[in-house]
Amino acid sequence: MKKILAFLLVAMFVLVSVTGCGGNNTTPQANDESNTSGTNKEVTKKEIEVPSEPQDGGVLTIALVSSPKNLDPVKYTGTYESQIIQNVGDTLVAYSMDLSEIIPNLAKSWTVSEDGKHYTFQLRDDVYFHPGKFQDGRQMTAEDVKYSLERSHELSAMNRLDMIESVEVVNDFEVIVHLPEPNAAFLTALTNSGNIIVPKEEVEGWGDDFGNHLIGTGPFMLKEFKLDEEAVLVRNDNYWAQRPHLDGVVFKVITDINQNANALRTGEIDFSSGLSGEAVKIIREDENIRLLEMPGLHVAYIYFNQVKGPTADIRVREALIKAIDTKELVKGVYQYGEAQPASLPLPPGSWGYDASLESIVPEYNPEEAKKLLAEAGYPDGFKTTLYISNTPHRVKMATIVQQYLKMNLNVDVDIQTSEWGTFSEIGSSGNADIFAMSWTWYPDPFFFLNKIFASDAIGSLGNGQGFSNPEVDRLLAEALVVSEQEERAELYKQALKIIVEQHPGIFYSNENVTWGVAPEVQGLVQRADGCIFLTNTEVNVWKVQK
Amino acid sequence: MVKTFLRRLLQIIPTLLVVVSITFVITRMIPGNPAVTLLGPQASVEDIAKLEEELGLNDSLWKQYTDYVGKLLKGDFGKSYSFNQPVAKLLMDRLPNTLLISLTSIVLAILIGIPIGIISAVKQYTPFDYISMVLALIGVSMPIFWLGLMLVLVFSVNLGWLPSLGMGSLENGLKDVILHMVLPVTCLTTIPTATFARITRSSMLEVINAEYIKSIRAGGLKEGVIIYKHALKNALPPIVTVLGIQLASSFTGAILTETIFSWPGMGTLIVGAIENRDYMLIQGAVVLTAAAFVFINLIVDIVYMIINPKVNLDNAKGGE
Repeated sequence: MKKILAFLLVAMFVLVSVTGCGGNNTTPQANDESNTSGTNKEVTKKEIEVPSEPQDGGVLTIALVSSPKNLDPVKYTGTYESQIIQNVGDTLVAYSMDLSEIIPNLAKSWTVSEDGKHYTFQLRDDVYFHPGKFQDGRQMTAEDVKYSLERSHELSAMNRLDMIESVEVVNDFEVIVHLPEPNAAFLTALTNSGNIIVPKEEVEGWGDDFGNHLIGTGPFMLKEFKLDEEAVLVRNDNYWAQRPHLDGVVFKVITDINQNANALRTGEIDFSSGLSGEAVKIIREDENIRLLEMPGLHVAYIYFNQVKGPTADIRVREALIKAIDTKELVKGVYQYGEAQPASLPLPPGSWGYDASLESIVPEYNPEEAKKLLAEAGYPDGFKTTLYISNTPHRVKMATIVQQYLKMNLNVDVDIQTSEWGTFSEIGSSGNADIFAMSWTWYPDPFFFLNKIFASDAIGSLGNGQGFSNPEVDRLLAEALVVSEQEERAELYKQALKIIVEQHPGIFYSNENVTWGVAPEVQGLVQRADGCIFLTNTEVNVWKVQK
Repeated sequence: MVKTFLRRLLQIIPTLLVVVSITFVITRMIPGNPAVTLLGPQASVEDIAKLEEELGLNDSLWKQYTDYVGKLLKGDFGKSYSFNQPVAKLLMDRLPNTLLISLTSIVLAILIGIPIGIISAVKQYTPFDYISMVLALIGVSMPIFWLGLMLVLVFSVNLGWLPSLGMGSLENGLKDVILHMVLPVTCLTTIPTATFARITRSSMLEVINAEYIKSIRAGGLKEGVIIYKHALKNALPPIVTVLGIQLASSFTGAILTETIFSWPGMGTLIVGAIENRDYMLIQGAVVLTAAAFVFINLIVDIVYMIINPKVNLDNAKGGE
């Protein structure tokens, strides 16, 4: 028996040491200073020879971390579909790549009536659809715009164009869109890839199957869409804006984040749009892959119940905010510097952002927090529940928050982790004591403030905690009627001030848009909303040919 | 035997009906609303109400149930909410992909695991026995996720020999597909190989030490004949049972392996369906899996009867 034991031990030892070595060789610096944020190892990236003139040819392979399901613009619901749709189709107007303004796209110009209810668009006369089964690549006209926008208005799963009333065709290249009441978010809504212009013949010809045979006017044509595998796009030589340099694009579904990093390193993909956590570190330290990072239009937050439980009391909310050191929290959650610390419920990239309001947000102060909580009638703390979805960042955040609140206020936090489906139901029900999630959308403050703080959004996940303030509602409504951006920004700033003073939650971070890209890929422009555009009026991505 | 087979085949129907009913109830009991999950965080209250109506979620549960069973009896699995495609088509698209790797790995596991088990039993307490059983122990307890990532790091990232993801395509030749299969199949083969080796070893040991083998041996038969003709045959039943379970679960796909290698199989489909609360797709997948289980169980029982005629399936139900 002793002999057996001895043999087993030796065998185990040998095996462990062998696999241990393998591990060390293959995962670069697995145990280095990963806990001290900001001290990531600097790696000089290898330079490759880049010709001065863009080269034509090559296929760009892009990894998506979630599976696009339905490419029909009125049916799609996820951001991954839109990455493909916006490279196959065009919208009437578009955001500039720096998101600072709305620029002409299929519409070369537009005017707005005095009362803000009628938008007249002049269309380009050199736009042709991709050839398909039901038309041979005919010219796009005003009728198509009317058809597509009205279709979106009636059928969009996400009500992406619910503010319009009708579309009137003036002549082949001019349309008027009528709105029942002025809506300043209308042009932004038009930039959504749910509102690309599509030909009626193809939509009706394919019926339910149009999502697999999407036809548009964009730089690339959908050749094949294999569910959960890939979408294969080929160059549209007749693209109106400019001829794409790339021969084609393949969007591949790779749901595992670590495998995104691996596939970049093996060269199986050129570009991954969904890096986070450890994968960011691996790519940052790989000399052969470039890491592109920019602050995203993103806010991660902890939202208190405004109606029920202890947090209905504003003093309790203020105490909870003061009991957590957000800067330390962010350092702990984002070990690889994947986010910036934040304080307001709008990302700094939005034009409604007001840095002067940052000072109203209570600073870390455990003593005052304790006093406030005692005043509110909880000198010995209370029990509460924090709901989160099961993503690594959220779990880390919740654990740190739990420790802060226990240490500083003796508040016992029960962390409830569930997958997204369960979380979103609890979150929108209004029954969560506290929940945490994140929000990301357009730079127009409407897409943050109205969705998270307007009374009419109560019942949706955005305003799941029942924030309601008549003055905020009034300002948000008014900001939608006024059309000048400066005037609107002013109204949003006023609303933001009231919101922040109500201490609705802790808005702790703005996550970066983090892309891993092979050095051969040139001309790629990162947008704060994470949207990928390969060829449009401003960019034309190309690949260095080997 | 044919009569028994047919009767058992008929029994599958009530079993499946029970499975359908239980799945129906369970999917409705898990928290979460398909409309909310499908539309994502940015959806407004109106969007959600509209989609709920469209998906028929506002009908009474009883109506939803009878509608579903009614359609199912006609062979209609319904339509997936999230894919907007017939469930049957989605399942049938994925099943071959999953079976390709899962059946390959079971065949490999049998070819490797059973001989190792036999040799270990015959050469009990030799270094071969020790090493193979330690390896088997490690194989059974190895986290597949870790193994998969390590295989990728070594063979794809560092050595560059094998593709790390996807299925490849027959258009690029059979070799492309086979190369893409190597890593996932290796991953999938580990646990079954180890299981087979261990089960075969213990089952063989029991038989080898039995009195009747001793008497055969005393009769002077060659050792090889004794092992393969007499001992192995009697050691087979537990191996067949394990094989049956492995075969049946190969239909559900291997969730972790498929995720790591972006293999478009049943596993990823089912997980996605659960995440999206895609009731129809969950139900369809469960019915298919249950049918596979029941059917393969039946086959296993028949095989029992063949390898051991003393097993009478009718006796189990009180006999006739």
